[in-house]
Order: sequence, then C-alpha cells, then structure tokens
Amino acid sequence: MFELDLRSRAPMYEQLVEKIKEMIINNVLKPDQQLPAVRVLASELTINPNTIQKAYRELEHRGYIYSVPGKGSFVKPAVPGNNTARLRILENGLAKIISEMLYLGVPPQEIITRLKKLLSKKEGGKLDD
Amino acid sequence: MIEIERIGKRFQETVALREVSLSVRQGSIYGLVGSNGAGKTTLLKILAGIYKADSGALTIDSQPVFENYSIKGRTVFIPDAPYHFPNFTIKDMAHFYARIYPRWNQARFEKLEEVFNIEVKRRIRTLSKGMQRQVSFWLSLTLTPDLMILDEPLDGLDPVMRKKVKNLIIQDVAERKMTVIISSHNLRDMEDICDYIGILHQGEMLIQKDLDDLKSDVHKIQIAFSSDSPPALLQDLQVLYQEKRGSVLILIVRGPFSEIMSRMQSYRPAVLDILPLTLEEIFIYEMGDRGYEIKNVLY
Repeated sequence: MFELDLRSRAPMYEQLVEKIKEMIINNVLKPDQQLPAVRVLASELTINPNTIQKAYRELEHRGYIYSVPGKGSFVKPAVPGNNTARLRILENGLAKIISEMLYLGVPPQEIITRLKKLLSKKEGGKLDD
Repeated sequence: MIEIERIGKRFQETVALREVSLSVRQGSIYGLVGSNGAGKTTLLKILAGIYKADSGALTIDSQPVFENYSIKGRTVFIPDAPYHFPNFTIKDMAHFYARIYPRWNQARFEKLEEVFNIEVKRRIRTLSKGMQRQVSFWLSLTLTPDLMILDEPLDGLDPVMRKKVKNLIIQDVAERKMTVIISSHNLRDMEDICDYIGILHQGEMLIQKDLDDLKSDVHKIQIAFSSDSPPALLQDLQVLYQEKRGSVLILIVRGPFSEIMSRMQSYRPAVLDILPLTLEEIFIYEMGDRGYEIKNVLY
C-alpha cells in the first residue's frame, strides 16, 4: 500500500498513523473505504501486527476511522474532533518555517500572500481579508 | 502466555539471573536485550526447558515447562550456534523432527523449500553458517510452534534472507498469533519487529516496556539560547545525559513529550528540537545511567 521509513526515529505506529491520516486528508482513501486487514499490512510492510493494531486503534480514537466487528476498519466520512496536542506541534513547525523565511529575507507581506494562495488552492474559493 | 516470576539461576559461583520476572502476551514479539553476560541466553534456555531455574516460577500457558512434553511439542528454540546432527542432510533432519513434533507440516516444509532454495539432499554441516541458520528456520517454521525462542536469530543472514525470515515470522504471528521471544544485540532489527522490550543487565531486569512507550518516554533535546542558559533549566527534570557542544546543549531526558516541550518552550530558547531516540540510543543512555559505558580513551 505504501512504504514506511524504517530509518526514521519516530515510533513505527506513529508513522503509520500519520501516513494513513495524510491519505485520508488528501482523499486518497475515500470515506467508508476499507483499510487493509492488519495481517495483510503486517505482511506487506514486514512490521509487527501489534503495531498495526495499535495504529488502527489510535486512528479510531482520533476519529479518522471506524471498525466493524468481523469485517475490518473503514475511513470515517466526518472530520475528527479534539486535536489540540497535534495542533500545537503544527503551530511550532509553522513558527519555525516562518522564522526561517524571514531570516532569508522574505518580507512579511510576501509570506501572507503566499499563505493566502495556498489556502485558496486548498479551499477552492476566496478568502476574506 | 509466558509468565516468569522471580527466576534465579546460578552456575557454581556465578549468579546468572537474579529474581528476574517477565511476562509475554500471546501474539507478542518480545525483544530481550542486554549487555554482554547479562543472562539472556540463560533465560532463554530456562524458557526452552534446557536449564532448570534454581528459584522462582516459570509457566507457558499456565503450565510449568521443564520436562513438559506437551508444551515442548509446541515450542521451538533456535540457539545462537545452530546445531545439527553431523552427516545429516536437511531431509534427514526433517524426518527426525517429523517424528517428534506433533505439528510437523510436511506440505509447509515443501512450500518453504521454494523460499530457502537449498537442496534437501545437502548435508547440513557442509553448508555455510548463514545457510545452516536458514535451515534452522526452515525446520522451525515447519513444526508450527506456538512459541519461538530465538537467540541471535538473524546473525549471519544476508539482507535478503533477513527480510524473508522476518516476513515469515510476522506472517505466522499475524495469521495464528504465534508468540516470539528474541534475544539480539542488533537493536535496529529488533526495533523493526518487536512490540515489547526487556533490558537485562548483570542478571537483573532493568526495564520492561512496550517498545513505543519506551520510545515515548525518553527524548533527545537540542536547545540553545541567544544569551546564557537559564540556571533553572535542568531543575526537576530526569536527565540521563547532558553535553554542551559550543552554544548548543544536548540533553537526554526522561518524561512525557508534551510536558518537556512546554517546559523548554517557557524559557524562550532560540533553538529547540525534541527528537525521539532509536532503541540503540535508549539502550546506551540507560546503560550509561547505570554506570555501564565506554569512556573515550585517549592514548
């Protein structure tokens, strides 16, 4: 299905969670689409099935997927709920990127323009000023 | 599946194991790591019923192991130096095991021949060390064990075979909840397939944890300030290691990520990175904390 970076220091199940999340956010995995069975994915990626189980549980806990007993796990159509911890990490990352851009001489107004462009591409519409 | 309570074992004057307790769930791949001479092989041999513990209790599926044929028929042990009867061919060993192990699966044996690709008529002792190990795996997987006890299993296998063997083990774990306990110094391989880790040192169990919990409990911090470091920076922190490299302070700290992150951020550093550690690094820093470390010797 996809490749994981075995050299990365982050725990395997976190990588899995992030990868599957990314695919759900970008609509590569569609709502109500079934995720591969734990044993199939374990075999494909050569990683511990308990790790995959954990990742699926985490995704369910965060509201990205739901499971049907006896059938498997599926992508949840709705948007997930509480994500404050993750948002804080993302904001920290954003702060780093912006400070580097400023350091490299990109004027603040330029950064805002680029941000607006990115947002409109993602939203497919216009933004209020 | 495996319950070990306060096992002790000594060989004359040497105490190999001292009140070691551990617990392995069914379907888990448990990694036993430790310093040289920590007692790993001794523990595995007690588990395999080769040695008898001096004290403590050991059960597999709630039954004691020593001399228990029904349990031993479902368990396989691959030692770090593969042993095969002299002059036996692979086919001979297969016949031998087929008559002993109740769950020998001849169809599987033949299917696995395609994976390992070694002629069954070869005398095992004439094969290279790596190929002998492959034969050990071939035979072991064929007897459909509920428990695999492996001592340095991937040592000597080429990268392609390593992947194949890991894959076969994982398939059995996934399909029929086989339990595996592996002892190895190759922490990179262990990190890939284990879900639980036990660290043994000088006969004692230091830490036993879910691998992900172990990794989420220790962090590497790279922090630098535009002026001087705040003096209270290290207060109330469990610091395993610290080093100053120029203006950057490197810290290895135990504790939850979010707490440490907000603590560090509150000091308004110019540079802050909090990174996860590899299992190898965790091992080295935990050992260093116990006084087991290499101090760089300058000649």
